[in-house]
Amino acid sequence: MSVVVQVIVTGLAAGGIYGIFAVGYSLIYRLTGVVYFAFGDLVAFAVFTALLVAAGTGPVSQTSLGLGRFLLGLAVGLVLCIGVGAATYVLFIEPYLLRGSTLGWVASTLAIAFALRGMVGAVFTRPAYVFPDPFHFEDLGRNGIVTIAGASVQIRSFFVIALAAGLAALAAWTLERTRRGRALQAIASDPEAARFVGLPVETLVALTFGLVGGLAAIVAVAAAPSAPFTVDSGALLGLKGLVAALIVRFGSPWAAFAAGLGVGLAEAAIDNMGGLGLGPQYGELIPLAFALGVIAYRSLRSEPAPSPA
Amino acid sequence: MSAAQGALGRTRVELAAAGREARAAWSWSATLWALAFVAAALVPLVLPEGRMADLAGFVYLALAAVGLGYAVGLAGIPSLGQGAFLGIGAFTEALLRAKAGWPLLPSLLVAIAVTAAAGVLTGIATGRLRSAFVAVSTWILSWIVLLLLTSFPRISGGAQGLVLPETTVLGHTVTPTGHYLVALTLIALAILALAVLAPRGPGLALAAGRDHPAAALGLGVAVARSRLGVFAASATIAGLAGALGVELAQVADPSSYGPVLSFELFVAVILGGARLPLGPVVGLAVISGFRHLAEEIGGFRGLPPGRLEEMLTGYGMLLVLGLGGAGLLPAARSWWRSRTPAVRTSSRRAEREPARVANAEALLARGLSKRFGTLVALDGFDLDLQPGHVHALIGPNGSGKTTALRTLVGELAPDSGTVSIGAAKLEGPSRPRTLLGVVGTQQATAVFADLTVLQNALVGAGLRRQYAGPFRTVFRTPKARREDGVAEGKALEALSLVGLHDPDRPAAELSAHEQRLLMLASALATQPRVLLLDEPAAGASAAELDSLADLLDQLRDSGLALLVIEHNLRFVRRVADRVTVLEAGKKISSGTLTEVAADEAVRTAYLGRQRLS
Repeated sequence: MSVVVQVIVTGLAAGGIYGIFAVGYSLIYRLTGVVYFAFGDLVAFAVFTALLVAAGTGPVSQTSLGLGRFLLGLAVGLVLCIGVGAATYVLFIEPYLLRGSTLGWVASTLAIAFALRGMVGAVFTRPAYVFPDPFHFEDLGRNGIVTIAGASVQIRSFFVIALAAGLAALAAWTLERTRRGRALQAIASDPEAARFVGLPVETLVALTFGLVGGLAAIVAVAAAPSAPFTVDSGALLGLKGLVAALIVRFGSPWAAFAAGLGVGLAEAAIDNMGGLGLGPQYGELIPLAFALGVIAYRSLRSEPAPSPA
Repeated sequence: MSAAQGALGRTRVELAAAGREARAAWSWSATLWALAFVAAALVPLVLPEGRMADLAGFVYLALAAVGLGYAVGLAGIPSLGQGAFLGIGAFTEALLRAKAGWPLLPSLLVAIAVTAAAGVLTGIATGRLRSAFVAVSTWILSWIVLLLLTSFPRISGGAQGLVLPETTVLGHTVTPTGHYLVALTLIALAILALAVLAPRGPGLALAAGRDHPAAALGLGVAVARSRLGVFAASATIAGLAGALGVELAQVADPSSYGPVLSFELFVAVILGGARLPLGPVVGLAVISGFRHLAEEIGGFRGLPPGRLEEMLTGYGMLLVLGLGGAGLLPAARSWWRSRTPAVRTSSRRAEREPARVANAEALLARGLSKRFGTLVALDGFDLDLQPGHVHALIGPNGSGKTTALRTLVGELAPDSGTVSIGAAKLEGPSRPRTLLGVVGTQQATAVFADLTVLQNALVGAGLRRQYAGPFRTVFRTPKARREDGVAEGKALEALSLVGLHDPDRPAAELSAHEQRLLMLASALATQPRVLLLDEPAAGASAAELDSLADLLDQLRDSGLALLVIEHNLRFVRRVADRVTVLEAGKKISSGTLTEVAADEAVRTAYLGRQRLS
């Protein structure tokens, strides 16, 4: 029983982050047909920028940080993230979309990813970073841990789950209920028609490339203090979000978020199945292999399509 | 005795012919190539042995990059899995050698075979996917291989990796210099093969599938099969490079194969120029320049060189992409070419007759129906196309004309109904139909923009070739060479028939009408019996219309059965023997244009009921 609770709470907390990533991947794919390989590294860039402003590049003690400084860091991180996401789209991705060159945008999204990761890694040279915690979850319960049905879980996990679900709801609500959101839906279904009726398609799409990064960065920052965060963490989180988005074929925000939670739960469950011959070394592997299997299955079942472009 | 002499004599004749071809194809750039190869082979004489291992390692990696160039450049497949295939080759070799104690050669063969199988499986699994999903799947594959290698120390030897026994051939230890010469030979062969393939049958088929898949299928190109083949070849080359690479390094490091390596190789190909055989090598050289720079800066400023290298590679790639993304080598070449302007000639039809159509047959369609959801696009459609006749299919927009044509050529599968030519039933996809002589053109202009005019027509002329497989093409067998000549003759004949006289002009530079003529020429080069043309006259001037009508007359007189979808009724009157009118998927009238024009139903369809009441 205690293991089950453990798996559910840690799984949902991790899955919440994957879910927010999956929402972003799906939105971008539906808008532009681009698989945003730079997503994870854009988020890592935002997270580390926030850390840089809030606490510098040195070792951080978890308690030493005031809320004001933290919020300033977060704000700077988010603004830069949105700016970089939008600017790189306009400069490097959109030109290749207009030309219909898949090779081009695959190359540019990957190049953006590696440029950002290398830049962050050149500044933050330690193997891993402990993130400051402005909300002081460690003061609650026993060092931030409560015992539920015999399982010790971090209180922060509940905060992360709630925050992720809240942001996913916000994204879904924005898409379905607001003017901007409906504009995005119009672009997704027919960009030419959207342009024709006077929507600022380029601006909206460019902003989306930045905003989805900001959304995921908020959750990543909230979750970061619970485990060491490395320069490569963003890419890994992004990869799992991508897996979730692939499983639901870049579906609606809710479907993508649910898939993210599913990937998180599966990973936590597999990590804890050491007795069944599984274990942590399979936790990352199996969801990836599953996604690849799903893609292959869909491909083989589909009609032979004449248009690989 | 005499048979042996005959064979010897034939061989001598063929060798002489091959020699003539080689001499004819020899150019100053080929001399430069040969000199470059000799110079590269002489490098060990000047470089100390201690540096040779690095250099050999670079050439093995460059071999994998050239292999990736096959998939990315020739076929436009965005493969992000080359690092995974290198890893599969490397660890198969390492496991067989270090754990199973196999000798060099058998383990090398098995490593290549295993990687080839992995390439074929991946190619089959992703063959029908859109490019974006091919990129994602191969990217995930790279991660999976990395995770497999790093989280299962029992397979991969953990952080120390697997240590291989010394590489020996016939009792002699292979030195880094030996590896370098092997690597150099292999990469030269890979580049040479790519350079031979790209402008000939298999390369043109891949380029056609890359530039316009639907049009390529329409000309009977086996798009899926050729893409699978080139993807598998690309993976196999990576497996070979990976296996030989660990023999050189004597240790297999699990963390060095995966997404980062895949990314670097992909960048190398795009950076250097995917379409040129040497592009990937140039790209990889630039990246290893970044690596040295990163080590210099890192040592000087105390920064991690690995991160700096990622950053520089990323920025370098973005710089090239920001400048248009053609790659360094093509950019240099087009700058060089731009200094020598080409000569243009105008297009005018030649005064020549098309060859008679052999065993002409009528195409019969009976009861064709096709629905898209609730829309009935085609409803019980019958059609007879007789040899030596031009049949026009007319009707308002959305009446199902193009659907009818696409169903006839196999681009769409009908819900019911049959199509036959002579005794043969036409079912399934385009290729078997094109082989039976039923060929259609696309409604939109659909030329292969990156090919020349002649190469476009050669894609069509490649349909009936028997000896144009990749191996015969690479080894320039006598049959393949003879067939090359025949195919070129057919292509040039088709081009001169439609009036395109500048075979070396890039197809993208043609006017819209010329592009339509080129589509027609490519279709004619397949030697069809039944030719289905979707709006061949779109965008033509009055003079061009006249010339096109003359051409259609000639084709009719040669015994071809022609179907023309056309809006311009003056043009229809000029060329068509029979007219069929479609409305809402149904045939409402058929006969000569005069008969059809008198038909009440046709008048209603064209003019609307209100005007008549």
